[in-house]
Amino acid sequence: MKTDLTNVQFEARRANRVGAEEASSKLLMVEDLTKVYIKGQGFAKSKIAAVNKVAFSLELDKPEIFTLAGESGSGKSTVAKLILGFETPTSGSIRYKGVEISKLKEEKEFMKEVQPVFQNPFETFNPLKKIHTYLYETEKNLAKAAQGQLVEESLALVGLSLAEIKDKYPSEMSGGQLQRTSIARALITSPSLLITDEPVSMIDASLRMSIINLFKRLKEEQGVSIIYITHDLATAYYVSDRIAIMLRGEIVEMGSVEKVLDDPLHPYTQLLKASIPVPNPADRWESEIALSDLETKEYTRIGCKFSGRCPQVKAVCRECEPENHQVGESYVKCHLYR
Amino acid sequence: MPILEVKELRAYYVTEKYGRRYRVKAVDGVSFQVNKDEIYGIAGESGCGKSTLLKAVSGLIKPPLEVLEGEVIYNFGDAVLNILSLKDDKQRRQVRGVRISHIPQGSMSVLNPVRRIKKAFQDLIQAHLGSMERSRFEEMVKKHLDALGLDWSIMQAFPHQLSGGMRQRLTIALATILKPDIIFADEPTTALDVVVQRGVVQLIKKIKKEQQNTLIMVTHDLAIHANLCDRLAIMYAGKIVEEADVDVIFNQPQHPYTLMLLNSLPQLGDKSTRVSAPGAPPSLVHLPSGCRFHPRCPEATVRCREEIPELLELEKGHRVACLRKGGR
Repeated sequence: MKTDLTNVQFEARRANRVGAEEASSKLLMVEDLTKVYIKGQGFAKSKIAAVNKVAFSLELDKPEIFTLAGESGSGKSTVAKLILGFETPTSGSIRYKGVEISKLKEEKEFMKEVQPVFQNPFETFNPLKKIHTYLYETEKNLAKAAQGQLVEESLALVGLSLAEIKDKYPSEMSGGQLQRTSIARALITSPSLLITDEPVSMIDASLRMSIINLFKRLKEEQGVSIIYITHDLATAYYVSDRIAIMLRGEIVEMGSVEKVLDDPLHPYTQLLKASIPVPNPADRWESEIALSDLETKEYTRIGCKFSGRCPQVKAVCRECEPENHQVGESYVKCHLYR
Repeated sequence: MPILEVKELRAYYVTEKYGRRYRVKAVDGVSFQVNKDEIYGIAGESGCGKSTLLKAVSGLIKPPLEVLEGEVIYNFGDAVLNILSLKDDKQRRQVRGVRISHIPQGSMSVLNPVRRIKKAFQDLIQAHLGSMERSRFEEMVKKHLDALGLDWSIMQAFPHQLSGGMRQRLTIALATILKPDIIFADEPTTALDVVVQRGVVQLIKKIKKEQQNTLIMVTHDLAIHANLCDRLAIMYAGKIVEEADVDVIFNQPQHPYTLMLLNSLPQLGDKSTRVSAPGAPPSLVHLPSGCRFHPRCPEATVRCREEIPELLELEKGHRVACLRKGGR
């Protein structure tokens, strides 16, 4: 029933803005996205490009889980904030179904279709407010006609029942349950895109997979596309279809998750892969690695941002910024693949 | 004789709310031994009592934490010491830092944000070795930092000027400058990026090799344990449920909880479906009867609901607390 509703919504909206809609077959198209933060004042003023010329897109009719992976300070959360409209981009465009999101007139319509899931479920909910009020509030704001029906449906989707969460405060529930409730809240409006920022990093190890499997199911059964933002490459490999590796605000490698993580091309992806601890005592780290300088140094570096610790660095890497090169089906931002 | 012997340790958090006493049974009858020069790992989910165990064992006991019973005996070769019998915190403090050292979890809250890094080193050294000449102090710190691959210039920095990874490496340097016999590391790699995490593991290995000390490592990340530890204990709801050599834990786990933890770990290059156990870890105030894992255990029987399994030796060096695995 839920999928039907989504299709009806699709069709209605498609009829509304025919011109822009047909020009693009993309659910989300991000082009040249840049966000510059200004730090300090006067002479000490410096600019940090938290997101630098990021581009990727999601297909409209093919739901997928797209991972943005990177270390802290790589700008992956800023991308999420930009898509959700919490921040305004310095330049570049984000188009949702062909329409620039900053120009979207009906903001509520956009909010219905693109929903966030945040990192820490204990911070998502007000500790003094009962959990179920969030669900009813969302329904009231964004899907008034349903009268409580959607709350129960979306809770069922995440494997919870209303009886389990009714009249409970956040402190009475486990992190896993809370995160599921947070996802249920996002699903009330039958969104076509979920933006999840580190959704499992605060969840206990034994419960983590239940959330990850839920994402997989939502994609397969409900046709929801998901942008999964994480630093955990093992879960990214498990759940996603495509992956983009970010470094200091730039996407350095993008492609199908098997291609990128089984056979990484960019030296940074290779380093990341080698740094994932393997849960096997027979497979321990033997060699030593170089560690990064201060973060700000890498942000302002001319040329390739990774040139400071790249084992295959060349003179050209320090001087000019690499371009995106297509290798097979992947894109790599590295001088090695010119 | 092992360097550390913990016998039937019970440490509860005792709080009072509306006139009712609550006892959070964070460590509930834990016994284990750690041999010299060994890396002993303690794994478990958040809220299983692993950090409290570290606190109690290193003598950091402050209300509401109370040690109800048990013994913690250190044998440093030249001295045998029961840390719980030291009533005075002053006496305990003399042991900590010199003999026992603690690498804490959040590196930001360890270093004073308004004082330079150098000050932290000065304080520590002055507290334990008394005041010394500046040149001697600098020489000592420099030697230690050089050995760890850190630069002297960061001593002049304030904590906020350093990245999280650098701060964590500095706290490790601070914790090990006095060459302690035992190092307790409480989630030293959590909240760090993977590349930095690897750097920290690299650093810990280096120190261990150089100073020949014993390390007790607590983290929820089993992959880090696989990479670092010699022996590993798995904790669940205040008790050790399984303990063995790290190879044995990963290759022949016996306890259903260990099995479940290992099965829920995703791995690169493996897309086969992983499942996590139903339910959630119990609250340490209201514990289930019998085996604490039985509400989530796929193999639980009626007996598991009633009897509390003991941690018994299944094979040599492999202890399991499960009624279905030869337990009583």
